[in-house]
Amino acid sequence: MGRFILRRLVFFAITLLITSVLIFALIRAAGGNVAAILLGKNSSAEEILKLSTELGLERPLPVQYFEWMNNFLHGDLGQAFRSKQLASHLIWTQAPVSVPLSLGGLLLAIIIAIPLGTYAAKNFNKPSGAFVALLSQIGIAIPVFWAGLLLSLVFGVHLGLLPTGGWVPWTENWVGSLRSLVLPVFTLGIVMASTLTRYTRTAILDVMNEDFVRTARASGMSRRVALIKVGLRNASLPLVTVLGLLAAEMVGGTVIIEKVYSLPGISRMILDNVTAREVVVVQSTVMVIVIYVMTINLIIDLAYGLLDPRIRVGK
Amino acid sequence: MSENIKAPKIRAKKGRKKSRLPLIMGASITLIMVIIGLISIFWIPLDVNESDPSIRMLPIGTPGHLFGTDYLGRDVTSMLMTGVRTSVIIGACSAFLALFIGTMFGMLAASVSKLDEPIMRTADIFMAMPGIIFALVLASTIGAGYLTTIFALTSFFTPAFVRVTRASSMRVLAEDYISVARLYGRGKLFITFRHVLPNISSILIVQFTIYFAAGVLSEAGLSFLGVGINRPSVSLGMMLHEAVEQIGITDPLGVWPGLGIVILVIGLNLLGDGLRDYFDPRFSQRAR
Repeated sequence: MGRFILRRLVFFAITLLITSVLIFALIRAAGGNVAAILLGKNSSAEEILKLSTELGLERPLPVQYFEWMNNFLHGDLGQAFRSKQLASHLIWTQAPVSVPLSLGGLLLAIIIAIPLGTYAAKNFNKPSGAFVALLSQIGIAIPVFWAGLLLSLVFGVHLGLLPTGGWVPWTENWVGSLRSLVLPVFTLGIVMASTLTRYTRTAILDVMNEDFVRTARASGMSRRVALIKVGLRNASLPLVTVLGLLAAEMVGGTVIIEKVYSLPGISRMILDNVTAREVVVVQSTVMVIVIYVMTINLIIDLAYGLLDPRIRVGK
Repeated sequence: MSENIKAPKIRAKKGRKKSRLPLIMGASITLIMVIIGLISIFWIPLDVNESDPSIRMLPIGTPGHLFGTDYLGRDVTSMLMTGVRTSVIIGACSAFLALFIGTMFGMLAASVSKLDEPIMRTADIFMAMPGIIFALVLASTIGAGYLTTIFALTSFFTPAFVRVTRASSMRVLAEDYISVARLYGRGKLFITFRHVLPNISSILIVQFTIYFAAGVLSEAGLSFLGVGINRPSVSLGMMLHEAVEQIGITDPLGVWPGLGIVILVIGLNLLGDGLRDYFDPRFSQRAR
């Protein structure tokens, strides 16, 4: 197991390195002439060249990349060209919105989906199981932003129970912050839960057909016990994969939900900074998000090994 | 146990009967949506970009404008039809490309151990890229539009197919009958296509329909953010974006495009479920 973890960690580092090159290349390719965009339309070629040199954008790209990476690894994420704000500061001020939203949504999805999916699989030929399957079908079909719009229409506009958008900082009024997060988290949670419920149901139905469940049943376990003791552990392998996929999708969902509820989160900050061509800020922020997603994936890979010894030994 | 001996005959019959309903419903809904999309290529009631200030915000059911008009007096029926076409094309193309590329690499990773790590790490890299940010950056490099959206969605979906294909292939490869096939002298290629592919096809079919649907949903999401489909093309997500930006969330114009997306996606998912039951008789016969 120790070797397995070590291998994973080494690959984690290598993957991050390659990803950072990709991000850099992609964003620089998209950037166009950053200085020209910063200065606006009425700037002369000399002014543009001067600012480019000042910002260090005229140097060869590999040099810029190594400088960025070097600083990044030392905890310096760079600063915005225009406002001179530190990227780390920007991320730090947005994180209290995005992190609770994304993790809250994921957690809510797991809490709802695993029992519901298992239930739907167990009762797949009964009306109750079919009803759960139907609910998850409808849930999957609803676009996350439309769900957000409908929920804020019902709970915000018509019932007036919760704010339809905007944000109160935690330090100012944490009850207010929580209230602004309820609808977004709920939206993200139920949308992801629908997908997860469906996968759980499929995975468990697949496992129910396996010989080892039949053997467990034949050895005298009731269907419920066989399902939980033998089935769920075996079904967890594809499920864990799906959870990893959901973690990446969660970031996308967060971008859209922050837009719907006009929350000042990390994703909105990226949107703004891509438009403003603040390349260094965008690079660093995207890199931080990638590390976030990759860490979740690493944990999932390790869980793979824990759940299925065959994979661990096979390595 | 005695109950189990009698049961299969009756249950198998019941299961088969039941499994046809989602297939028929899903296929019908999908077919209708595809036909609407096809019709819109050749004929739509009015130009989707032709505004007429004198007929702004006509209510639903107005003669000549079945679904009314929007805040600029454009015909909503035409926009909905074109939007459905956009959804179908983008969803189908991106899911199919991802299925094809993803399954190939997933099975390769599962059966050739030397290629496993490189493939999975590459998949990780693509998966770790937040799809929407990726699409956003792409949209500002090569411009937003059909091809950009399909390219972005395919890149975003492929790793999911690679991962799921690999995970389920490895589960199949760990089964005893694979060892038997190996002992029998079967080659990797034979085992992959004869044993692994049929055994993971149910998962892949579900996965394909989910990602066809996800393509529809993601396109809508991107267009809602303003980085997917833009005028003069029309998409359902873009219509919602316009409705919300221009007239607020309380307006009924924010309902129809959303409902269109939901119906299409439900149709696709039902189709996937039905197909799985249809292709995989093992599923309906053996499930207890």
